[in-house]
Amino acid sequence: MFAKLQAPKLPDISRQLRLDLLDLIYRSGGHIGGSLSCLDLLVALYFSPVFEFPPDYFTLSAGHLCPALYVVLAKRGLFHSDLLKTYSSFSSPLQGHVSTDVPGVSYSSGSLGQGLSFAAGLALGNPGSQSLCLTTDGEHQEGQVWEAAMFASKYRLGNLINIVDYNHYQIDGSTDDIMPLGRLAAKYVQFGWTVTTVDGHNFNQINKALRQARESTYPTCLIAKTIFGKGISFMQYDYHYHDVKSLPDRLYSLAKQELTTDFP
Amino acid sequence: MNHSPSPISIRQAFGNAILKLAKTDKHLYVVDADLKSSLFLNKFAKKYPRRFIECGVAESNAAGVAAGLAKSGKTVFLTSFACFSPAINWAVIKQSICYNHANVKIIGSHAGLMSADLGATHQMLEDVALMRALPNMQVFAPLDAVETEKIITVAARSPLPCYVRLVRPATQTICDPKLPFTIGKSHLLTTGKDVTVVGYGPVLLNTLEVKGFKLEIINCSSVKPLDSETIIKSVKKTGRLLCLEDHQKNGGLGEAVASLLLSSSINCRFAHLAVDNRFGRSAQNYHELYEHYHLDLSSINFALHQLMESSHARS
Repeated sequence: MFAKLQAPKLPDISRQLRLDLLDLIYRSGGHIGGSLSCLDLLVALYFSPVFEFPPDYFTLSAGHLCPALYVVLAKRGLFHSDLLKTYSSFSSPLQGHVSTDVPGVSYSSGSLGQGLSFAAGLALGNPGSQSLCLTTDGEHQEGQVWEAAMFASKYRLGNLINIVDYNHYQIDGSTDDIMPLGRLAAKYVQFGWTVTTVDGHNFNQINKALRQARESTYPTCLIAKTIFGKGISFMQYDYHYHDVKSLPDRLYSLAKQELTTDFP
Repeated sequence: MNHSPSPISIRQAFGNAILKLAKTDKHLYVVDADLKSSLFLNKFAKKYPRRFIECGVAESNAAGVAAGLAKSGKTVFLTSFACFSPAINWAVIKQSICYNHANVKIIGSHAGLMSADLGATHQMLEDVALMRALPNMQVFAPLDAVETEKIITVAARSPLPCYVRLVRPATQTICDPKLPFTIGKSHLLTTGKDVTVVGYGPVLLNTLEVKGFKLEIINCSSVKPLDSETIIKSVKKTGRLLCLEDHQKNGGLGEAVASLLLSSSINCRFAHLAVDNRFGRSAQNYHELYEHYHLDLSSINFALHQLMESSHARS
């Protein structure tokens, strides 16, 4: 049922899912900027041949990125795509922040900075499995992330992979303005992790890094340089698109046009 | 009532219980935050080093790791002082443990004014309030060392997360080892028709010294879920209720019981002896603090007299 797809098809999947994301946000509002930046990372995790499907353990630490996860899980057949239309509405399992009520979701989150600890616990409890976690750059302002970084290093959790969606923006502005992270890669290295930095929209780079991370005997931090609002020109690099309450018809049409222009 | 002449501390009983449980439960883990000596876990850590996870002074991460381990099918005890866990890591307990249905047993030791010399920062007086408020969370507070062992054994097998409140000093043991601890059930320490007394933890032992009143003392070691039936039945009989706790009034058992009785339309005289919107402070022994914060025997006697003098009891 869950056939492995080849890497060359991943960009096509991403293009389609960006449209699904746009529709979802147009209908119900939601966190669009970060969802667009992390989408390719999720597509790589769920559709590339690097990991078996479904992945052993995937923890979405930044629960507000759930629109991206929801469209990916729907595409993967974990639930019918009609369910996406109910996103964040009463009686829908598709909560505004990711919830285990949704088939395929193993960790409910929303309060930032907690997921890496949980993923570390899973890695410790399941030494034969891979525990993957997706965090954001802004999320690294939470001290608990660094507690978890120390912990993973102490227990040498080689089966733990922290993928950082490094899009440089957070709710009130750029990460550099709100609270600069400094040299994130160097920090993880100092904490005893293996660190790889990739273009978070380049599937070859992502997959290569994931393969290396899978083999590492140290916890791996995969820093993915991404573009906030990726794919929709007026959203890119504009932190006001962190969370959209509603999208005017005109902008929706413009965004849709941009996303379909080079659609095969 | 069988008062033990050589008391052992509640936290020591906890360490013993964990050691005993770990023999049969090969999946029992302890996730600790640099307080294994204080919680009598040295033997466990030495005997089962792979199952003793030392997180250092980082209670938020410890709670998250505990949740991940629990989701891996382990029986997980998260251990620290109550003033750190659940105080520092409350949001992690809410999201990663309660909301995610991660079956973690949170052990908060050194709770209340009983950590006398440590002072306000370490005298956790808000833990019951914090934990009562969380969906999926059970709250237990043993009366003595004997009950501690029973509670820890039941907690280990419970399918829901729980918070167990432990205290520091060695205190009397009065519980019958043969009487089982049941979640949601309380025990009558004495029966009487004058005043119902409800409370949890060793502070309740003070009420056993009271003379001149026929008290019905209810040990509410299962603070949540609460044994509504026993409390209601007793208050219907006595018409007077004294609630005693080494905790803030705000959010404590007294409020839970008051809410229970009001919503059950039960009229009674009510007194609540607890810390009233104040911080703790240091003292060389907790008896001085109990006197200062009105949790001692003379404060209890005073409250009982007032309850008995009331004209409209048993309306």
